This record gives sequence, C-alpha cells and structure tokens, in this order.
Amino acid sequence: MKAIEVHNLKKYYGKVKAVDGISFHVEEGEFFGFLGPNGAGKSTTIRVLTTLAKPTSGEVKVAGFDVVKEGEEVRKRIGLVSDRLILYDRLTVMENLRFFSKLYGLDESTIKKRARELLELLDMWKWKDTPVSKLSTGMKQKVNLVRALIPDPQILFLDEPTLGLDPHTTRKIRDFIKELNKKGTTIILTTHMLHEAEILCDRIAIINRGKIVAMDTPRNLKHLFREKEIVELELLNPIDLSSFDGVMKVLEHTGDYYKVEVSDINTFLSMLSSKKVRLKSIRTHEPSLEEIFVKLTEVGS
Amino acid sequence: MKTMWHIAVKDLKYLARSRTAFFAFLLMPILMMLMMSYIFPKMPSKITGKIGILSYDPLFEKSVPKNKEMIFYKSRDDLIEALAKNEIIVAVIVPKGFTASIITGKASLEVIPNPSNPQMAISIAQMMAGSMGKVSFSKKISVKLINIDGGKFNYYDFMAPGMMAMIAILSVATGLASSITRERELGTLDGLMVTPVKRGYIVSGKIIAQTIRGLIQALLILLVSFLLFNVTIRGSLALTIFLLVLGTFSFIGIGIIVTAGMRDQETAQIVMSTITFPMMFFSGIFFPIDQMPKFAKYLSKFMPLTYAADALRKVITLGVGFEFIIKDILILLLFAVVSTTLATIYFPKLVRD
Repeated sequence: MKAIEVHNLKKYYGKVKAVDGISFHVEEGEFFGFLGPNGAGKSTTIRVLTTLAKPTSGEVKVAGFDVVKEGEEVRKRIGLVSDRLILYDRLTVMENLRFFSKLYGLDESTIKKRARELLELLDMWKWKDTPVSKLSTGMKQKVNLVRALIPDPQILFLDEPTLGLDPHTTRKIRDFIKELNKKGTTIILTTHMLHEAEILCDRIAIINRGKIVAMDTPRNLKHLFREKEIVELELLNPIDLSSFDGVMKVLEHTGDYYKVEVSDINTFLSMLSSKKVRLKSIRTHEPSLEEIFVKLTEVGS
Repeated sequence: MKTMWHIAVKDLKYLARSRTAFFAFLLMPILMMLMMSYIFPKMPSKITGKIGILSYDPLFEKSVPKNKEMIFYKSRDDLIEALAKNEIIVAVIVPKGFTASIITGKASLEVIPNPSNPQMAISIAQMMAGSMGKVSFSKKISVKLINIDGGKFNYYDFMAPGMMAMIAILSVATGLASSITRERELGTLDGLMVTPVKRGYIVSGKIIAQTIRGLIQALLILLVSFLLFNVTIRGSLALTIFLLVLGTFSFIGIGIIVTAGMRDQETAQIVMSTITFPMMFFSGIFFPIDQMPKFAKYLSKFMPLTYAADALRKVITLGVGFEFIIKDILILLLFAVVSTTLATIYFPKLVRD
C-alpha cells in the first residue's frame, strides 16, 4: 500500500489556483520532501493531505483512505507539525501533551510513558511542568513535535518545521526526524531550505505556482541540468587552458586558480597528464540543488 | 510629529483592510441611531392596559361604574397571576373602608406595577387615583407603589432581571468571540481539527465550557444584585439560575455561527457587538417593549434576550412559578436547539480553509 496517492489534485481559492493539478505518490516509510518558494502551494497541499482543506477536485488518498470521504480514518493515522505551534501557551508542556493525546483516545499511562520517552530524547523532560509561554521558540517546537508523535502516527507531516530556529535546535530536530523515519514513519516535509531537503529526503518534489516542476531523488535532480562539468583547479605553473581538449570555456582565472567548463571530464584529465601539468588541487564543482531550484522555479516567471 | 501621523494612518488602514470589520464599523453607528429613534415612540404613546382590582371594600365595587378597563379579582393570588399573564398592566389593592376614607381625605391605594412596563403602570394608577379624587371631594388619594410581598416598589426591580440576563449573554458572546478566533489565529484550531475527534464534539465542548462560564457569571450577578442592590428573588432561586443558563445557552449557537466564520479576533468582536447592541435595546431591558413602535416590537421577537428577560422578571419580581413562563422557556429552548444544531453542522465548514 502507498502511504499517499494524489491524482490530479486542484485547490482553488476563488480565482487563485493554489494547487493546480498535481499528481504524486509516496511509498510507506519514505521521506518525501516538498520544495518550493513561498506561496508555491506546499502548505495548501499539506492542508489537503491532512484533511484541513477540501480539495476543489482530484483524488487524494492518505494511508489508503480518501481524505474527503474517510477523513476521520486519515486523521487517526497522521501527525502534523507546522511552524505555527499547535500548543496552548497558558498550559504546561504536560497539560498540552495530555490534552491532545486524549483526543486520540490514549490512556493516561500510555500518554505518560510516551511523553517521557519523547521528551527525554529531545532533552525536554525537565520542562514538563513549565507553561509553554515561558519556553524559547526552539523548545516550543520540540514540544510541538512530541505532541504530534505521542499517538504514534504512521505518517508525519512537517510543514517548515525548522523555520526560525537556531542551528543547534534545527540540527537536533533534523537528527530526530531522520531517526524516526529510519524506524518506519513515513515523513512528508515541506521546506524552502534546499540543504534541509537534500540531507533528509529520499525524494523531492519541486513545486512552483501550484504545479510540480520536477520530482526525483536529490541526486538525480542535481544531474537533471548537468550537460557539462565544471572543474576548479589550482596549478603550480599558470598556463593557458583554453586550447586544451574537452575545455569549452574558461570561466574564471585569477593567479593559479582556474574554473573551467568541460564537455568531458576524462578527456580533460588525460590532456592534463599528457601536457604534464602539475596540480596543487583539483575538484569537480557539483551544481547545488539551489541552482537547479532557481532555474526550475524561474521558468515562466 | 510626522511619525505620529504615520502611526495613525497605519492604524486606520489596518482597520479598513478587513472588509467585515470595516463594514461592521460603518454599520454600528447607523444601527445605533436607527435603534435609538425606533425604540422611543415619536408621539407620546397612547396609554393602554387594563387595571386589575382587588377590593376589600364592598362599597367601592358597587360605586364604580362597570367598564372594560377594570377587572375585579377575588384573591391576591388571582391578581398576581393576572399580572404574570400580562392580562393587566397594573394591580390595585383597595383597602377596607376606602370609600369612607375618601371623605376624610386619608384614602390610599396600594399599587403593584407590571414589571414589564412599570412607567405605564404607574401613570395609569395615578390617573385612576386622580380621577377618583375629582369625582369625590377634590381630596387627594395617595398611591403607594408596592411589590407583591408588600415591600416598597423599587425601579431597579424592573431593570435587574433584564440586566442579569443581558450581562450573562454578553459575557458569553465575548467569551465565544475570543475562544474560537483566538484558536484560529494561534493555529491550535488546526491542531484540534487534525485529531480524529468528531467535529461535533469540538463545538459541543466549546458550548459546554461557555455554558459553565455563563452559569458562574449568572451566580455572581445574582449575588451582587442580592447583596448590593437588595433585589429579592420572590420566586424560586433554582428557576432563576435555570433561566440565566438557558438564556446564555440560547445565544451560544448564534455566537458560534457568527464567530466561526470570522478571520480574526478584532473582526469577531466588532461583529459580535453589532449584534449584541441592538439586542440590548430591543429586548425590553431598559425600555418597555409595549411602548415601542411596531417595527421595534416585531424585531424584539427575534431576540432570545427578550424572552429570557421576560421570564426572569416574572420569576424575580412577581414570584410566579414554571407554569407562567413556559412559553418563554419553550421559545428559548427552540433558539438554543436550532442554533446549536446549526452551529454543530456548519462549524467544520465555517472554520475550513
């Protein structure tokens, strides 16, 4: 069974086409990322998947259940964490956790056990009796994550979970959700941080203006626009590289540093050795996801 | 100096950007003015209403010419019952030897005004006493205003029951406005909606919380009226509390429907006061419905507060029981059941997207 199946989903708000006909599926246990600029339709998609918004048209199944007709079954199996905290600031950490868990029908001892386990993993146990309003932003988000996880959801939706958090907390949360995914939880992450998507996700869908413009593993996405390699090198003795076989263009040359565009990296390397060019260093310049992202999302705008 | 204006301009712009809030902001003063001019009759109103008489003076009954405006009752209970049923606007008690005492100039009448319209009742009683005085020997007949238990009539007695109902309803209205819109603004409403809990239970839970809130405030209002303003509850205390709770309950559904559709707290509050202000004026709390023009009378029928205040007045000032307020209770229940059912059905739709 697929964790998520979406077929031609559209969500319009009046004339605004927030999501304009997207289709994709997510395997069970997969870590799937939605990447896109602000307003691309990521959050709207998440709202539809979590039954918070009704699709205008299209078929959406989460954990095997239709989000419109079997919303309650879907809700039993999912957890949601977004940058807007789902916590009551005047209640303490434990009061919040207890309240939300009880809505899932969990009993007191299970709630206590799970809460303790999860809070300890995130170094939050000692704050259990503190009102949420007294916690820092990062601590709040950790509690928010625990809240979503106590009912042990099959599928966890993370809508920009690390927005506005410091690097330390961000890292802690990333490690934590990575671990969670390893243990079998399917995770859907939306982010506009490419780095985050790259290190966490098995597959990424890049979404722009309500449409999926590319969907693949981070590795394959990087190769998507790769027709040429870029090589950076430092030479002991400066020479003119532009006449070398395989070199298409010298992009940069300052002192002994060169940045060249080559059509075939092997031809270039054998040319270097046949000319007995002595190197200080050499490395291929990988196109970052960022460049691809910008290229993809620029199209048509 | 300039920055001060920037701030003022920003604030005004901010208000204007919420279409609902802006609309309500424009509507409110217009509504208030219309209301004020509608609840007060433009012409001095015709004095109408029947007089109920309980006579301990056999001579009096014989000396008064038969007319439709005066109804004679056999006992004090019958008299009060007639007041509670709104059959008479004022009850007059004629003491023993009244006719004889007119001659000596020491005549006095005891008058119990109908709490739904005390001013009218008082003026009718005075007219009656005045005309009787003229007929006889131009001696003054004194009119003593009393409550059903014989204590001195207090104008506050007319206001207190209505005010109790109003305060209870208003506080619930504001409570609701913030309870739903705050959760929406914070994002916790999404949190509730994403749990497998039935959507109806979310609304029911909120209704229960607000009703309890209303109950506590109703008790406080009772306590304050009792301790500070000497309002005595002549009827049953349990019935009074029941009516206060039912009154708030009848309004909660309406409150939920209105606020669930609002985007933010400010808009919800403005819209809520646009609804509650007319309700205050049209439900006969400060100004008797009897004396309002037709349009206002018609409008008052759609306000749950009208019925809550009426029933409370009967229980508190007239001390009558359940059987006299059954109509009010049924109407309040109808308001409550219909509005909470609608709220439960429409809540998920209203808060969605």
